[in-house]
Amino acid sequence: MTLEIVNVTKTFPGFTLGPINLRLSDDMILVLIGPTGSGKSTILNLIIGLIKPDTGSIYLDGVDITKVPIESRKIGYSFQNPTLFPHMSVFENIVFGLKKGDKRLKEPQIKRLTESFGISHLLNRKINGLSGGEMQKISLARMLVTEPKIMLMDEPLAHLDNITKNKLRINLRQILKKEGVLGIYVTHFEDDVYALADSVSILTNGQIKKTDTLRTMLSTSSSNNRSLSFLSSSLSPSISEFFQGDYNYLEGKVTESKDGVSAFKLGVHRFEILGDYQIDSKVGVLIKPEDIILSLDLVKTSARNIIRIMVMNIGNAYSKPGILDIHLVIDDIHLMSRITRESKNHLGIKEKEYVYAIFKATAPHVVREGKYDAVDV
Amino acid sequence: MISDVSFMNNIDYSMINFKLIIWILSGLALLYIIYPLFSISTFVEPSTLLTSLTRPEVIDTFVLSLITASISTMLIGLFGVPLAYCLSRYKFQGSFLIQIVVIIPLVLPPLASGALLLGVFNPNSELGKTFPEIEFTQSVIGIIIAQTYVASPFMILASMVAFDMVDKSYENIARVLGKKNWHVFIRISLPLAKKGILIGFMMTWIRAIGELGATLMLAYNPHTISIQIYEDNTIGGLSQAIPSIILSIFLSVILILAYSLIVKKLEGSSIHQSMFSFGVSGGNK
Repeated sequence: MTLEIVNVTKTFPGFTLGPINLRLSDDMILVLIGPTGSGKSTILNLIIGLIKPDTGSIYLDGVDITKVPIESRKIGYSFQNPTLFPHMSVFENIVFGLKKGDKRLKEPQIKRLTESFGISHLLNRKINGLSGGEMQKISLARMLVTEPKIMLMDEPLAHLDNITKNKLRINLRQILKKEGVLGIYVTHFEDDVYALADSVSILTNGQIKKTDTLRTMLSTSSSNNRSLSFLSSSLSPSISEFFQGDYNYLEGKVTESKDGVSAFKLGVHRFEILGDYQIDSKVGVLIKPEDIILSLDLVKTSARNIIRIMVMNIGNAYSKPGILDIHLVIDDIHLMSRITRESKNHLGIKEKEYVYAIFKATAPHVVREGKYDAVDV
Repeated sequence: MISDVSFMNNIDYSMINFKLIIWILSGLALLYIIYPLFSISTFVEPSTLLTSLTRPEVIDTFVLSLITASISTMLIGLFGVPLAYCLSRYKFQGSFLIQIVVIIPLVLPPLASGALLLGVFNPNSELGKTFPEIEFTQSVIGIIIAQTYVASPFMILASMVAFDMVDKSYENIARVLGKKNWHVFIRISLPLAKKGILIGFMMTWIRAIGELGATLMLAYNPHTISIQIYEDNTIGGLSQAIPSIILSIFLSVILILAYSLIVKKLEGSSIHQSMFSFGVSGGNK
């Protein structure tokens, strides 16, 4: 499966998108990030055919689909709003896209998808009274049951609460991989990138500034820090405005799991997290810089994660002189701790010196689980 | 204007019994509507009422009105609903002008509408000469032509508003899911606009039943119930027209009850809310 966007432009009063050039293949998930009004949704609308480009062409497996009607493109689209048909039951919504004869043939697939999304018990329900998360799961299942070649997602999880959003996001990535669907996910949330992306495209003012794999983006970050925010700030001031380095991302292999606490290894380093995860599976976690405290000495503490690490760089956070971002590095691990200038002065933290970075097992927040190779550490 | 406001501000409202004033005004308004309905008893002897009501010409006109209004409503639905969909979904140069044109039969005095129709359908017109075997005037066809013309805005406007209220993203999603335009129209647009369209059908039918002005010009014969009332009153006075009037009142009550039930079931709103939301105006002739 290959999607190619070649020199596509679209002009609206006061805004021009493009020329956009993009090539995606196989079952990768591209996360398209950019500030509001940068043209993210317009790109999706061009791919699906809701709007026509002024110039350029869109190819699906080498076939020009620029003038193909929406209904013949075999591309799935999930809006921010689940847009379930209110006059149909959950089941009727899910099978709406199937041809009459296909409904019986696709019964196993319907069963598999509804079970994967955990919505099997809702099939006979009416749409009224469903929660936002349930509706979004049904909407995604409705699209995937038609076996689209590509799945376009325009911030479908934006209106959900954080717990539902995180569960559904992990679920969504696993299902897209299982179904072998190429996905494009639009967002302006940093955590969505870590949770979903194989590749990332950064869009500002209607132009794609950079497209690369998440792994490359993380490893080639200009400040040598494993967080997209630093890469972003080096590329475009507008991106750094909404990606302020809100998360550290770590990914590793689960080695132990007992009594609701699991441990994963990243190189020779071991980290503990909450939750039971399958041994040998991989987990990706986010840790807020505010949750990492620094110490000069190895102290006795209830925190389960302590790592001796070098101070790489000290910079201002949020452009405020009173708050500092301390960039830390050891082996292949890059962390950022956010502390006050007073704390830094009190401890006498200096660049190129070693400190202890400490965080509780409750601090990491799992955003990826299962078997995948995208950001294989 | 400023002095008016200051005058209003100087009134001591505590001295005025608000509820009493509202009740008196409401009572008078209600009396104005109800009194004529009951006053008919003064014009007719109860003993002769049943005989009058079962007069063959009264029954015939009543049945003819029901049949022609039903056919007219179906015809308006067949052509009007697609036109409403067109006006709601396709924005093109001149679409605003078309929206104004479809309202014309609503605001035009029905007698004027009838005169215009007579110009088009009289036996000496181009249409009359082209189809000499069809009686466009003074016939059941003439009644239907008059009713469809005058009542069509109700169907078109109600359906247009109903289609406008259907979120287009439902239709877009249906297309993304592989459905062609016909399928989207039948499975999504029409069911989601159903409430408004049904209200349109009901209002169109009510308007067609009561039609007089245009019918008077185009098809005085055979008589509809409105024409019968008009003729009885002209020839024999009000007492002569009473049986048809009573049947009309009876039919109105049935129609309003049916309409109210449908609205309540579909909308959950009151009859008045739905009527206002679709811009019903009174006046027949």
